[in-house]
Amino acid sequence: MLELRNVSKHFAGIPAVDRVSFSARAGEVTGYLGPNGSGKTTTMKMITGLIERTSGEILFQGQSIDDDPMAYKRRMGYVPEEPYLYNHLSGLEYLTMVAQLRGLPARAAPDQIDGLLHLLSLHGDRHASISGYSKGMRQKVLIAAALLHNPELILLDEPFSGLDVASALVLRSLIQELARRGKVVVFSSHELDTVERVSTRVVILHRGKLVADDSIERLRSLMELPTLEAIFSQLAVEQDTDSMARQIADLIHA
Amino acid sequence: MPKLIDKLIRRLPLQFRVLYRQFLLRVIDLESLSIQADIPRFLGQFAGILIMYSAIQGLGLLMGFAIDERLRLLSTIWSVEQRLISTMMLVAGLIAVASWDNIFPDRRDAMILSPLPVRPRVVLIAKVAASAAVLGLAVVSLNFASGTALALILGGIPHFLRITAAYWFTMIAASVFLYGALLTVQGVTALLPRRLFLRLSAILQIAAFGILVSAYFLEPKLNTPAALAMATNHQALEWLPDYWFFALFNQLAVGLPPTFAWLAARAWIGFGASVIGAASSLLLCYLRTMRKTVEEPDLVPASRGLHLASHLGGGLRSAIVFFGFRSLARSRQHRLALAFYLSIVLAIALSWLRSNLSAAAPRSLDANIVIASFMMTVLAVFGLRNVFSLPVSLTANWVWRITQLRSTEKYVAAARSSLIFFAVVPVWLVSAALLLDFRPRLQVAAHLGVLALIGIALVEIALVGFHKVPFACSYLPGKTNVQFIFWGSIVVLATAAVLVGRAELHALSHPAEYGWIVASLLAVFVALLSFNRYRARSAALMFEELQPEVIMTLGLTRDGVSITELSAEAPARLSTTGSERLTFTDSK
Repeated sequence: MLELRNVSKHFAGIPAVDRVSFSARAGEVTGYLGPNGSGKTTTMKMITGLIERTSGEILFQGQSIDDDPMAYKRRMGYVPEEPYLYNHLSGLEYLTMVAQLRGLPARAAPDQIDGLLHLLSLHGDRHASISGYSKGMRQKVLIAAALLHNPELILLDEPFSGLDVASALVLRSLIQELARRGKVVVFSSHELDTVERVSTRVVILHRGKLVADDSIERLRSLMELPTLEAIFSQLAVEQDTDSMARQIADLIHA
Repeated sequence: MPKLIDKLIRRLPLQFRVLYRQFLLRVIDLESLSIQADIPRFLGQFAGILIMYSAIQGLGLLMGFAIDERLRLLSTIWSVEQRLISTMMLVAGLIAVASWDNIFPDRRDAMILSPLPVRPRVVLIAKVAASAAVLGLAVVSLNFASGTALALILGGIPHFLRITAAYWFTMIAASVFLYGALLTVQGVTALLPRRLFLRLSAILQIAAFGILVSAYFLEPKLNTPAALAMATNHQALEWLPDYWFFALFNQLAVGLPPTFAWLAARAWIGFGASVIGAASSLLLCYLRTMRKTVEEPDLVPASRGLHLASHLGGGLRSAIVFFGFRSLARSRQHRLALAFYLSIVLAIALSWLRSNLSAAAPRSLDANIVIASFMMTVLAVFGLRNVFSLPVSLTANWVWRITQLRSTEKYVAAARSSLIFFAVVPVWLVSAALLLDFRPRLQVAAHLGVLALIGIALVEIALVGFHKVPFACSYLPGKTNVQFIFWGSIVVLATAAVLVGRAELHALSHPAEYGWIVASLLAVFVALLSFNRYRARSAALMFEELQPEVIMTLGLTRDGVSITELSAEAPARLSTTGSERLTFTDSK
């Protein structure tokens, strides 16, 4: 289980994440939602250890992630929000490098990489430089790199970004399959429909604070709202969206 | 005056001013830099090196000619003129190579500027102006003192203005010639299909670099009328543009014997052809390549690949060594930075080879050979170490942080392997090949042994404080005092090379001394290795270069007690109430 206890992150004194606590259990898919700038990516980066938290504690399987960061990293896979990759490497070279950095067995890793490249339809372009890959292809490389070492904890920050419909459907099923196999899966997305279909429970963040943490069914019945979109709009969308659209149109028309 | 300049600048179109500023700052790849990068300071430091070079040259000329009248020989003056012109051309050529492709719109320019209502000619003029500004800065910095000194020596006060004008015209023409010629080459290449252009451009850039540096170090010194007039040198002179501009300078400044008029004519023709060639290729490229850049991918397709990593086993060391190799092979900036050092290594090796070919075999080791091999090793090791500090795709370095499963010591060990594989081993092999026809063989083998030890000891020196993955830490220009390091390194390197070279040469024929040298080098190596390992064990891997924090206290006190002392004791007490007031006191 992944557990966040009163986790905060301040940038120059301004809280980006403010005393957030939630748990993500093995076998469940936890959807992490929030509008732009609500602190989702900051939380993800704190969970991965990419940025230090200002206060609070993060535990994985009951142990603080600071106790043995290297052991923790071995068990974690991460797909970042932006497809930042080494563009001068080919897809195959990048995945091989990640396998080597993760210390995967030299004999088994090539087959595993080859298999993932085939399944993600990247095998034909495996020798081409990543600089020429489309956004979707880069996303697939990131997904392959995150899953290569069979991690126990999978953190996916906007994993559907850039994927075509077929690949998005595969990923959706993959997320559920991984959870069924006992992984802890946390993923953030703006696609509320997908989150609703995939997630066992959702955590909603607004202005760095946690505003909801429960199963979708319970949230629906508690708030008496039919969809996750309606719940999200009520909890995390402040402005009248129609009115704002009208104002923008008026402004550029003036 | 500044107000007038400001007023003049403000009269220029806004689009031009905005683009000019952007292009000028892109002399350096901004994506590689640390968040605290100080680009103007960095550029200032390099201008400072040129100014210092010019000042040393100028002072040396004035003092030398004032002290020793014999230096006023024609051959000496011609040597000085030739050196100044060829140095200027080298610098102009290096700037052209360093800013290779910069003058043409890249994908980023095309994607950002094409949808905007900016005419391609404004982009073109802004790019040319930015390049001209950098070139102009180099010409002025490099010649302000040496040009003045030369004009005083050659013409005294009566002809000072004429010679100064001739000097500056020659320097500008020589710089524009070389810059324009390289631009023409780029422009012609850019007309090829984009994928072919991307492949060829990188090769041409490195080739240009090698030719420039090799020509500077290896070209024959023809500083007498007889040498210039010799039929055997005629062919060389046809291909050495610095002699054309040397003739042009003399034609403008003091008059040229008719025998050498053809050289000056070549300078005029070359200058004109270069300007026309550069202008035409620029115009053609801006008309053609802007759209091509957007339409065609930067991707060089690879249907098959030689995937070495799987054959050589896994592990952190393989990952870092292969990453380093691929970055060096595929990143233009890194290749270029390394080429700067390696071209000097190449020049030393070529001059060594030239002396090998001209001497009867077998030859015996002398101080020059020993010093040359030492210099090559130093340049290769420290050159590569400096290139390691320049990041590639900095935003992608999160993968190193996420996968940091081992201690920093292991990463430093991998960097050590990279330095040995890519710097020490190649130079050692080249030296061994060049020493093949030297005798006695035992001395040659002994020298190669010392060279290997020096190589690995130098690697340890280069790794002191290097707690990074090569190419994965941001670069902070301005952090290092380039001026100090550059001149300091030259002095230290030259002195060390001479001292070590002489000591080793003497020791090669005295076994006891040789034993001492080997033992000392081994001791230094082991000590440095242990030190680096010890420090790396407790160090954190660095991914961001940061300025050292400078904390300046204001000397604030409350009720006579220093604020810092108070905060150390009880931070909560610092919450001031209405009755408590902070007072300033003189911290002295």
